[in-house]
Amino acid sequence: MKENTIILRGEEVAIGYQKGKTIHWVAEDLSFSLKRGQLTCLLGPNGVGKSTLIKAILGQNLPIKGKILFQGEPIKTLDANALAKKVSVVLTDRISPGNLTVRQLVGLGRIPFTNWLGTIGKEDRRIIESAIEDTKVGYLTDKKVAEISDGQLQKVMIARALAQDGELMILDEPTAHLDLVNRMEIMQLLRDIAHARRKAILVVTHDLDIAVETADEFWLMPCSGPLVTDTPEDLILSGRINQLLPSDLFRFNPLTGKIQSSTPVAYPQIQGAKEVFPWLQSALRKNNIQLDTEVSIFVQKEPVLFIVERLGIRKQFASIREVMDELTGDR
Amino acid sequence: MATGKNNRIGIAILGGTLLIFLLFLGNISIGSVAIPLGETLSGLTGGGVSKKSWEIILLDYRIPKAITAILAGIALSLSGLQMQTFFRNPLAGPYVLGISSGAGLGVAILLLGGSAFGWNLLGDGGFMGIWGTIIAASTGAILVLVLMSLTAWRVKDSMTLLIIGLMFGSATGAMISVLSYFGGAEELKLFTIWSMGSFGGTSKDQVMVFFVACLLGIIPVLLFVKSFNAMLLGERYAESMGVNLYQLRWAMILSTGVLAGSATAICGPVAFIGIAVPHLARMVFKTGDHRILFPASSLIGAGFLLVCDSVSQMPGTAETLPINAVTSLFGAPLVIWLILKRNFSREF
Repeated sequence: MKENTIILRGEEVAIGYQKGKTIHWVAEDLSFSLKRGQLTCLLGPNGVGKSTLIKAILGQNLPIKGKILFQGEPIKTLDANALAKKVSVVLTDRISPGNLTVRQLVGLGRIPFTNWLGTIGKEDRRIIESAIEDTKVGYLTDKKVAEISDGQLQKVMIARALAQDGELMILDEPTAHLDLVNRMEIMQLLRDIAHARRKAILVVTHDLDIAVETADEFWLMPCSGPLVTDTPEDLILSGRINQLLPSDLFRFNPLTGKIQSSTPVAYPQIQGAKEVFPWLQSALRKNNIQLDTEVSIFVQKEPVLFIVERLGIRKQFASIREVMDELTGDR
Repeated sequence: MATGKNNRIGIAILGGTLLIFLLFLGNISIGSVAIPLGETLSGLTGGGVSKKSWEIILLDYRIPKAITAILAGIALSLSGLQMQTFFRNPLAGPYVLGISSGAGLGVAILLLGGSAFGWNLLGDGGFMGIWGTIIAASTGAILVLVLMSLTAWRVKDSMTLLIIGLMFGSATGAMISVLSYFGGAEELKLFTIWSMGSFGGTSKDQVMVFFVACLLGIIPVLLFVKSFNAMLLGERYAESMGVNLYQLRWAMILSTGVLAGSATAICGPVAFIGIAVPHLARMVFKTGDHRILFPASSLIGAGFLLVCDSVSQMPGTAETLPINAVTSLFGAPLVIWLILKRNFSREF
């Protein structure tokens, strides 16, 4: 990877707070780099210091140790306005500018570039319109911010960050509180923007499965130990993805792409259509239903059918609920 | 499309300015002695007034009073708007940082301290009396402002600053209560009348001082318009857009201190304007953009106080109502009516 594509580099960074004379360490040994045109997801358990790391990158809370370089320059030497021209954010803070229109809100992103009055010039207008187009919120522009939904607002906030037109965009849990479709859409949107506009985008998220599908790079921030960075796929194959999970009770299952209990109860008695039996397994496991050795279940699809055989007696069921009633009712 | 909207707002602001001028004319024509509009106009343009007594009433009394009303309207509305945006709190106003209470305490010490501590600062009243009140109010406002600033130095969070401001207000209010308790009946009445607010009794000199104070207080507003717009998204977003919160906070404290402090010193604690006018401006102009809201609030504040002052004259009678009673009596129903009618956005 060529050096000039690296926007941000962190070397052995340690972060924390200073309260009085005591330093409260949050995390250390963080080395990372962000590249142009890539979507990077920062994952980690609550309270591990993801927000503190972001504050450090934004120059709001300088690292205790190590260096954070923005295009080769230490963050702390950049003043607020210079940094604002390079880095924009979407935060978790609830905002309430109900009286602004969507276009005005997106236009606020031009604040670091405009004169003292904040006059929007021709070039500013072009960038605002292109940000609106990239985020596909053109149909909302004349609505008041108070009138749009949470999912729409999140896209508008991304448009605002895009209008700030820096090399780096940082988003703190942009998909929290959103429905499934909006989560997918927003992450896909961010990926498209990163690739098409050659921006480096860093997203803090807890949506592991969506992140796996969209991110170019993962930063894993475990409770202890250094920051782990690699492609999501390599992290899954090598099992390093499990560093996200602080307890051994759960494991990432590379086959299903899901986090599952690390001691799965196997049901060798179940056989048949592979589209159906995982769901029967899942239902039995969840309800703590054990199968006796003399029971065998054959499942088939189209139509979905469960054939339960016990001591030579066969019974047929059309739903998982009926199967479970049969199995538990006997006990 | 966007330029069409700008034009509309330009016309609205121009029309507003014209309306203020008409209200100003009306305001100086009415009172216990009615002066015909034509005479007022000719007096204003230097054409001379047919009666000497009218000229004296106009030049020495009514014009300074009307200008005081306009300046107070601008000063209080601008303070209120700055505070509401900075604290992201729709209830913030000039009272919030304890500035008005500080001025009140200054005046209370001057007027009531006489009987409480056994001194006589009022002198023979008259000219010295009015300047005395103004100086006492300014000193009180500045003292509270300095205390607030020292605290603001240590406090990082603006919500905490808001709470501390309210505490300062309570503490100074309590001191005023103590002074009132020990004050003599005559002084207590003087203080009560001062606390009801008045635009009258200001000389040309005092209006000049007020004017200069307003100009000084408006400078930070002009310099930080853009930052106030950024603050619509809250502190952290504003910071990410390059706004220096620390500078902005000081600009806000100094500007509101000078504006609200001087208004309270000259007119007494005029209630209601600081909180209500910014909301009126948002409702009437339907925007959150401070480039429009600052001039709009100034216009509405000035116009509102001119009307209230005209009403308080009770044209045709020799009596005058206290201005504080009029602003709230007329203003509160107006704001409630507008909120109900206009589908007021709670997210301001």
